[in-house]
Order: sequence, then structure tokens, then C-alpha cells
Amino acid sequence: MSTALRLALVLITLACIALFLLHPWWFPVPASAQAPALDHGLKTALWLLGGLFIAGQIVLALFLGLKRSNSSSRHWYGNWRLEIGWTAAIAAIFFWFNVSGGGLWSRMTSADVHSGALRVEVTGVQFQWYFRYPGPDGAFGRVDAPKFARPDEGNPLGLDPGDPAGKDDIVSSTLVLPVDHPVELDLRAQDVIHSVFIPAMRLKQDAVPGMDIRTRFTPTQIGNYELVCSQLCGLGHYRMKATVRVVSEEEFKYWLKSQTAGRENPGMK
Amino acid sequence: MSITSERVDVKHKPKLGGGGPGKIPYRRGYGGGGDDGDHGRPEDFFSSGQRLRRGRIGIAAGIVCVTALFIGLTVVYVARLGTPHWDEALHREVYGWKPLALPYGLLWVNSTLLVLSSVALELARRSMLEKSEFATMGIRPPRLKLDPPWLAITVVLGFGFLAGQLWVWNGFRSQGLFLRGNPSSSLFYLITGLHAAHLAGGLIVLLYTACGSWLRMRFESQRIAVEITSWYWHFVGVLWFGIFALLHFAKG
Amino acid sequence: MQRSLISAHAATPSILRRYVFTTDHKVIGVQYFFLSLAAVLVGSFLSLLMRIQLVWPKVRIPFRGELKPEDYLALLTMHGTLMVFFVLSTVPQNGFGSYFLPLQLGASETSFPRLNMAGFWITLVSFFVLISAFFVPGGASLAGWTQYAPLSALAAAGPGQGMGTDLWLVSIGLFCLGSVMSAVNFIATTLRKRAPGMRLMRMPLTCWAWFVTAILILLAFSLLFVAAVMLLGDRHAGTSFFIPGGLIVSGRPVDHSGGSPLLWQHLFWFFGHPEVYIAVLPAMGVTSHLLSVFARKPVFGYRAMVGASIAIGALGFMVWGHHMFVSGMNPAAGFAFSTLTTAIAVPSAVKTFNWLGTIYGGRIRFATPMLFSAGFVSLFITGGLTGPLLAQPALDAYVHDTYFVVAHFHLIMAMAGLFAVFAATYFWFPKMFGRMMNERLGALHFWITLLGAYATFMPMHLLGLAGHPRRYSALTGVQYVAAMAPLQKFITVAAIITISGQIVFLVNLFWSLRKGPAADANPWHCTTLEWTLPSPTPAAGFGGREPVVTGSAYEYGDHGAVEDFVMQDAAPKTGASAL
Ligand code: HEA
Ligand code: HEA
Ligand code: CUA
Ligand SMILES: [Cu+2]
Repeated sequence: MSTALRLALVLITLACIALFLLHPWWFPVPASAQAPALDHGLKTALWLLGGLFIAGQIVLALFLGLKRSNSSSRHWYGNWRLEIGWTAAIAAIFFWFNVSGGGLWSRMTSADVHSGALRVEVTGVQFQWYFRYPGPDGAFGRVDAPKFARPDEGNPLGLDPGDPAGKDDIVSSTLVLPVDHPVELDLRAQDVIHSVFIPAMRLKQDAVPGMDIRTRFTPTQIGNYELVCSQLCGLGHYRMKATVRVVSEEEFKYWLKSQTAGRENPGMK
Repeated sequence: MSITSERVDVKHKPKLGGGGPGKIPYRRGYGGGGDDGDHGRPEDFFSSGQRLRRGRIGIAAGIVCVTALFIGLTVVYVARLGTPHWDEALHREVYGWKPLALPYGLLWVNSTLLVLSSVALELARRSMLEKSEFATMGIRPPRLKLDPPWLAITVVLGFGFLAGQLWVWNGFRSQGLFLRGNPSSSLFYLITGLHAAHLAGGLIVLLYTACGSWLRMRFESQRIAVEITSWYWHFVGVLWFGIFALLHFAKG
Repeated sequence: MQRSLISAHAATPSILRRYVFTTDHKVIGVQYFFLSLAAVLVGSFLSLLMRIQLVWPKVRIPFRGELKPEDYLALLTMHGTLMVFFVLSTVPQNGFGSYFLPLQLGASETSFPRLNMAGFWITLVSFFVLISAFFVPGGASLAGWTQYAPLSALAAAGPGQGMGTDLWLVSIGLFCLGSVMSAVNFIATTLRKRAPGMRLMRMPLTCWAWFVTAILILLAFSLLFVAAVMLLGDRHAGTSFFIPGGLIVSGRPVDHSGGSPLLWQHLFWFFGHPEVYIAVLPAMGVTSHLLSVFARKPVFGYRAMVGASIAIGALGFMVWGHHMFVSGMNPAAGFAFSTLTTAIAVPSAVKTFNWLGTIYGGRIRFATPMLFSAGFVSLFITGGLTGPLLAQPALDAYVHDTYFVVAHFHLIMAMAGLFAVFAATYFWFPKMFGRMMNERLGALHFWITLLGAYATFMPMHLLGLAGHPRRYSALTGVQYVAAMAPLQKFITVAAIITISGQIVFLVNLFWSLRKGPAADANPWHCTTLEWTLPSPTPAAGFGGREPVVTGSAYEYGDHGAVEDFVMQDAAPKTGASAL
């Protein structure tokens, strides 16, 4: 039984290594400025922890096997030098690892608002996403969902018709972004907690009703990406998604125009 | 299949020999803090000294639990007081906290009732202790000094406090401050309500013991019940002043 | 089960008193055991349905037809709740604890037998309340075991968010009461009921684990209770603790304002993180104990083990924020929680090292309990090591709420935890029922479960890294998720095999209850006091005989005595009997 168990542990370890080296499924293509750094962080983590995993399993397999019949080893109540040693060692590893990751987090969440950042308001509603652009005047119009929200009449967010700033706001169901241009998302939720998750951008942030949460990133590759909801929000959670279209600057300008062109009442196009 | 066998005799002789560190020649009751001297014999289990110590640890643990509960509530109260929330309609952060106007007169009356009840309970405890000591000496307690029914008094005062709290809540209701509505009033009702509930729990036990003599409760167990409940009762009293202080100093 | 217990002792007076409304801690322990067994069977069955619906949505379940998204989420919520509360917070602590804590301490009774009994009955009621949620209009709650507000606070937010959620909250409230009651009993018992000579530092590590866990329960469940009361208030009394203003749910404005959804998360996780250690500490205790018994060596670094348990317990209350890195909580707070979480990983690692130190060079006996204990160590390492990754806000931001987390907690909590439960079951079965369990079936069960556990939960890491969110009731909603269907299918197959493998365990359990070979008093040659009693334990426990403890709990290896172990209550060595 001993050998069988030790063999099994080794085989399991090998299988896990193979699984991660072959990784038939893996990170999506990195498409934002922060993605490469994050991937690097994740991969170092996986290497480090994977190493400890292998060490752990192998040591376990070894110790399950080797018998020392001389009773001295079997009278072992402990060895404080050894214990202090490995406690310090593992603490050093873990804390070094933890600190090394800190910088990334502060960069991801640093509140420095890029001057020219494009502001888009993202609103989660069971079970879809709405993206609002301030329009030419660069100002978001006032919203009062309980009063004005009329999804059927093309005003799902409840823009106040009386507010001039809102006249030119663009409400879209796809998130269209100019490439290489910093974006600031302004996350809202109308009913329950949702969470914006754009795997390709390595971006995830909850949208909490009653809170005004900002998050920033910079798309670096033209293309279409999926934005999904990653916070349980009810029945349609699994299909609450939107498309992120990253386009060139001029295409983006053109899109904005096409959206504003000859529209009197705010709301969906 | 049975899950317990009838055999009590121990076939399995304890192993001889032995070593290992910290081995000491055995002195009865050495070390092990909890030498309850309870080894399955009912008379041990019910010997009053044991029950008293047992009960005190139990009630202490209970007190820790309740303390955690109210510390949690306090944190919630203070946090809620300090944080603005986003108002969709106004589209800005607002502090929705309406400070409460506490009916101090009434609250002080209630507090006094509670203090008095604690005092009464302490006196009840002492007189019962005295009696039981006399009992163990086999003397009938001297009838000289008068001995009012402190326990009953405690219970009455306790109910007085509850009535007072009801009064306070009614006052708020008449001012249009309900559980629903403003966070300040919601939290007020929640905290004072939970406190009252905990107090009521103690009150029931005291009432039960106060009626103990009719319920054929042995005097000794009556006394122990009082001894133990008194800890809880004083704790609930202190807790009340904590809450009072919170409501007073953190009005917002 | 209960019925057969009763029929067994029809002779003795008042069966009801002895086997149903009993204050005998041993019987209560057995009652908890079978309650958890029922819970784990239901829970596993639910997970089976989930897995099937996820990859073969068209499959028709008997009496139910095709499963709908709301069914999946209801199954998910109930699965998580049953498994966390009624399995892993119940059997390792209240089940084996109620039975063996007093015996290992050398007492024949707990401090508060009636409290103990009340605790069980309340837990039982709360179990039935939870299950009943399946049969009310709208079905069980959809909000997951974490019940995030406002989803959980608004009946309009989904089918199960009406009565189903109320029942969930009531059930959990009751569960808190029950657990706190037995926790009080455990603490008093540990402090007051130790036999003469049983110093704290001579207690078996199982007792230490039960003691520390009881304290955690005391502090954590009271908070959960408050949270549940507040949420019920929001749902029915019109308060707005967790519901902000200006909400529209299913087209209708909600007349609440001023609440904070994050408040719920803080309250829940302040309970929730200690809860996961409540689930694992007793399992750790059992593992430490068994490794020493079967390696025939003293526990390596007993003091360090005790210290680590206490450290884990204390730190457990300071790390809850690591579940909320992307919840909108202040990013600066993320740093603090991240560091504290890393700190808590250290004592856990220390325990791992000491387990390895304990088996090092021992003459190991590979009986079934040992197999499962070794499995525990392996799974704990595997599941635990993803912890430090999750503890880094930046990295967690990517894998949060993906299957990566599901993999983490199934390996370390679900699987490791259950391995310890299995080990304890095989180990203490003789003492509880007077019969041995079948070793061959035991080994078979171990192999299926070990391989099954890795096959089921290891691939989930890849799903997570590829961005597969949790709690998706179908793979069809999102393209890149749909692309992962093959891996999900593999996982489902593995899960089906693992779960059906548990039949081996059940057969073994119930067959051994009746037909297993009779066990002698100390089949495993252990040192602890429960093994000085005949098997099964006499109703009267030590029945008047008072054990006197003279040594530590882990005297294994040659001591010049006939056996390679010394009972804790062995008569002290006199000059004569020295070699
Ligand atoms: C028993 C339960 C249990 C245990 C013990 C742990 C242990 C740990 N958990 Fe886990 N966790 C859960 C149960 C548990 N967790 C659950 C249920 C969730 C999800 C809840 C939900 O969202 O539904 C969760 C989620 C969770 C998160 C949130 C993830 C997210 O939602 O985004 C985080 C983040 O920090 C975390 C961290 C940790 C850490 C650092 C540990 C550490 O304590 C781990 C320490 C252990 C080790 C580090 C291994 C030691 C071994 C070695 C060091 C081997 C080396 C040996 C040699 C080299 C010889 N856990
Ligand atoms: C103890 C905890 C526990 C256990 C044992 C399990 C067991 C299993 N879990 Fe569980 N699971 C959770 C806790 C647990 N889970 C939690 C907390 C969640 C999160 C819920 C949420 O998101 O809200 C979750 C969510 C969850 C998901 C995520 C769904 C999603 O996010 O979309 C999945 C998906 O595959 C899953 C699968 C399984 C499977 C296949 C098993 C298998 O059943 C494993 C095989 C079963 C066994 C090996 C156990 C059998 C044991 C016995 C038969 C007897 C033992 C008992 C005694 C002796 C008394 N679980
Ligand atoms: Cu929206 Cu999940
Ligand atoms: Cu945690």
C-alpha cells in the first residue's frame, strides 16, 4: 500500500504539472496596457507556488516511504531550531511574494486621473450592460432612474429629458473604445451588484448599486472582446454580456458622430 | 447494532511502563485545571460546587458571545454614521443620517431601574448564600434582621425597565420615527431591541427561580441559578450603559 | 437510522430518552454524525445535478424534467450552504467533538448535557427549514451561499428570492443558535472536565482543535446572526441596512434608501472567513492525531501545532477583506488585508511541515484512516498553495469569482475537509459502534475519492485562468466560456465517478454497522483515554473509575515497554519496572 500511495502521489503531481504546462485553456490574448504586467505576475506566482506544490507532494511521498528503524528518530518530539528555520523560510517566501505583488495593485488602482482619459459610464441592469458617453459637450446629463427610466421607450437609464447636458449623451449597448487611449469607466448598477469583467483587458470591478466606482485601463489592440458579468446577479447572470469594440481613433470619432447625428431625444440607438 | 454497551468493567488494563517528557509521579488532581471530581457519579455531577463553577464558565462564554454581537452592532452604527451614500436622484453623495432626539429623562429612569435591579439581585445572592451556609451548618437562619424578597424585587424592577423601553419606543413612534425610514432610527430600534431581548432572557430565568419554591426547586439549585444569572444580569446592565453612551456620544 | 438504534435496545427503559431526546454526549455525537451524513448525501446529489445541467442542459431529471437556470442557482446555493454549514461545520466539530472531547479528556459527561441536546435539535430543525426551501413557491434562494445584498434583500430580484431566501435566513439564524450552544458546552467541558493530570499541554491535538474552534464559533456566529436579523429587517420590516436608494428592480422602483450593499459583505465575511477555519481546524486536529498514531511517532512539534491553531484562530478574524478586493472597497484596505492574509498562511504552512515531520521515518501502518490522513495533507498543500496567489489583490482581481477560486476552496475545504471526516470515521467507528469497518472497501473508497478529487477540481484552475466566471448556470451565454465546454464535460464525468464512488463508503458503513467484526478496546493501539474503555463505549463512560493522566497524548515508539506506546493513564514508571 505504501508504494502504491507514493506512486499515486508522484503520478498525480506529474499529471498536474502536465496539465499546467500543456494548458489546453489559458489566459486570453493580452489586449490592455496592464495585461502584460499582470500576466507576468500570475505566471511568476504559478511558478513559485507550483514549485512549492511539487516540493510538498514529493516530500510527502518520500516521507511516507522511508523507514528508520533506529528508535532515536521515532522519539522525535520536535526540534525547535528546525521549526524556527522553516517557519522563517516559508514566511520569507510568502511575504516576499506578497510585497512583490503590491506595486501592481497600486498601479492598477492609483487614482491619478489621466488628463485626456475618455470617460464612459457603465450601468449594469438585470441582465444587460449600458454604456453612456458624455457626447460633444463632454458632460453627462442628469439621471433619475426611478423617475424617468423607460426601457421600452429607449431611455433605460432614466436620463432627465429636462437636462440640456443629457441631450447629446450617447447610450450604447456595445462599448466602443479608441485604441491606445486611456479610458475611465464609471461603474453603476440599477438593481443588484454586477461586475464588469473583460478577460482580455485583465479588468474586473464590481458595479455596486448606490456606489460610484471608477476604474481605468488602456486598450492596446484593435478588435472585438467579450465583457461579461462576474458577480451573481440572478437568473440571467450567465448571459449578461456585452461586446467591447476597440477601434482606431478616427473610426471612433466617426462612430461618435454617427451616434449623435440628428437625434433629439436621448437614449438607445 | 448498539451504540453503547452495557459493560462498565474495564477489560483493558492500562499499559505499564511509560516515559516521555513532563511525566510526573501522579498526585491527585495535579495540573489538569478542570478536576471537577465528576466521574459519572450523579452525586458528583450535581454537587453544588461543581455546578456553580461549571455554570460560571458557561455564562462567561455566553457573555463573550453576546459581547461580540454588540461590538459588531456598535461598529455598524458608527460606520453607518460616518459614511455618506450615493443618491441616484440627487446624483451626489449624501449623509442620510437624521440625529435622534433621545428622551433623556425616561432613559435615565430606566437606567436607574436597571441599576437598582442589579443591586437587589446582589442582595438576593448574598442572603441566599448566607442561608445556604447556615443550612450546611445545620442551623436555622436567625430571624432577627428582616429579609425582603430581593429576587422578586429584582424581577419587578427588570420588568419596570422593559416597560420603560416600550415607553421610549412608543414615544419615538408618536414622533413618526419607525423601524423603517432613517438608518438612525432603524439602528436605534435594532440595538435597543436586541438588548431588551437579551435582558428578557435573563428575566425569564430569574422569574423561574423566584417562583422556584412553588415549583419544588431545591433551594440549593435556586441559589446556584441566582449566582450564575447574576453575572449575566450585571453584564446586561453594563451593556445597557454602553449602548446609552453610544447613542449619546455618537448622535451624528 | 434512529429506528434501528432504538430497536437494538428495546429492552432498556425509555428508549426515547436513551436514543432520541438523550443528553448522552455519545448518542448526540452519533446523531450529529447521521445528520451530516444526510446533509452530505443531499449536497453531493445537488452538485451532481449541477454538473449535469451545466454540460448537458437537455438531460431530463426524473420528476423534474429539464433543469432551468433558476434551478441551477438554487442547487448551487443549497449545495454550498448544506456542505459548509451542515457538513463541515457540523460533523468534525459537533459530531466527533461531542462524542470524543469528554472521553479524551477523561470525563464521562459534558458540562451542559441539556445544552448539548438542545444544540442538536435546533440544528436539526434548521436543517429541515433549509431543505423545505425547495418546496415553497419560487423554490430555494438563488443568491449563493454568500447571499450578497441587495440581490438577497429584494424579493423581486428573482424567483427564489421570496420565501426561499426567508427560509435560508431563518435556517441560518437557527444554525447560529445551535452552534453557539454546543460551543459554550465545549468550552466549559474543556476547561472544567479534564481528568486529574490532564494538563492543557497534555491534551490530544483533537481537543485543542475543538476548543479553539468553539471559541471561533462563539465570536463568528454571533455576527452572522446579527447580519441575518438585519437582512430579514430589510426584507420585511422596511429597514434599509443593505438596500441603497434609487433602485429599480424588474421595472419597479424600490422604496428603500440609504443602505450599503458593502455592509452585508463586511458582516458576512467577518463571519465567513473564520467559518472556513471553523471547518478546517477540527480536520487539522484529527489529521495531526492520526498521523502520529499510524506513524507510531509522537506528533512533531506539539507546541508549535497548538500555537499554530491559536494563531490561525486569531488571525482568522482579521482577513475577511480578501474576499472583497474588487467589491469597491477602498484599495488601500486591500493592502492591509493582503498582508494579514499572507500572515495567516504561515501557521498553516507550519502545520503542514509538522505533519511531514511527524510521518518522517515512522513505521507507518497504512490502514484506511492513515490513507485518508495522507490524502488530507496532499490536498491541503494543493488547495492551500493557491491561497497566497488569491491573497494578492492584483492577481485576485483577475481570478476573483472565477473557477480558480472554486478550485481553491474545493481542494482545501471540500476535499481536504472531507478526507479528515472520512479518516475520523474509519478511525473512531470501532469505538462508536463496537465493530471494525472493512479495510479493503476502505482502501477502494480512498483510491476513488483521491483520484476523483484531483481529477474534478484540478482542471478548474485552468477554467479560472481562462476567465470562466463562477455561478454560470449555462455555458451557452458567452462565446469564450462555451469554448471551454470540453473541459467542463471532463470535470462532470470525474465528479460523477467520485460521487458514485461514495457508494462504496456507504455500503461499508452500513454493512459494518451490522456485520463488521467485533472490535476490541484498543484496535489501533492508541494512547488516548477513549481507548481505555471497551468498544463500544459503555453508556456510563468511565463509570465511576476515574482515569488519572500521567503522560502526554503521543507516547509512541519504544519505551522499553512491551507495546510501542504508553497509555495516557498508564501507572507512572517506578524504579523497579525500569529496564
Ligand atoms: C477550509 C477552508 C479554507 C482554507 C483553510 C483556506 C485557506 C486559505 N485561503 Fe481560502 N477560501 C475558502 C476556504 C478556505 N481557504 C473558501 C470557501 C473561499 C471562497 C468563498 C466564496 O467566495 O464562496 C476561499 C476564498 C479565498 C480567497 C478569496 C478569493 C476570491 O474570492 O477572489 C482568498 C484570498 O485571499 C483566500 C485565501 C486563502 C489563504 C491565503 C489561505 C491559507 O490559509 C492557505 C494556507 C496553506 C498553505 C499556504 C499551504 C501550506 C503548504 C505549503 C507551504 C507546502 C510547502 C511544503 C513543502 C515545500 C515541503 N481564500
Ligand atoms: C464542504 C464543502 C463542499 C463539498 C464537499 C463540495 C463538493 C462538491 N462540489 Fe461544491 N461547493 C461548495 C462546497 C462544497 N462542495 C461551496 C461552498 C460552493 C460555492 C457555492 C456558491 O457559489 O454559493 C460550491 C460550489 C460548487 C461548484 C461551483 C458552481 C458554480 O460556481 O457555478 C461546483 C461546480 O462544479 C461544485 C461541485 C462540487 C462537486 C462535484 C462536489 C462533489 O460532490 C465532490 C464529491 C463528493 C464527496 C467526495 C463527498 C461525499 C461524502 C460522503 C458521501 C460522506 C461523508 C460524510 C460523513 C462521513 C458524515 N461545487
Ligand atoms: Cu450581472 Cu451577474
Ligand atoms: Cu477567506
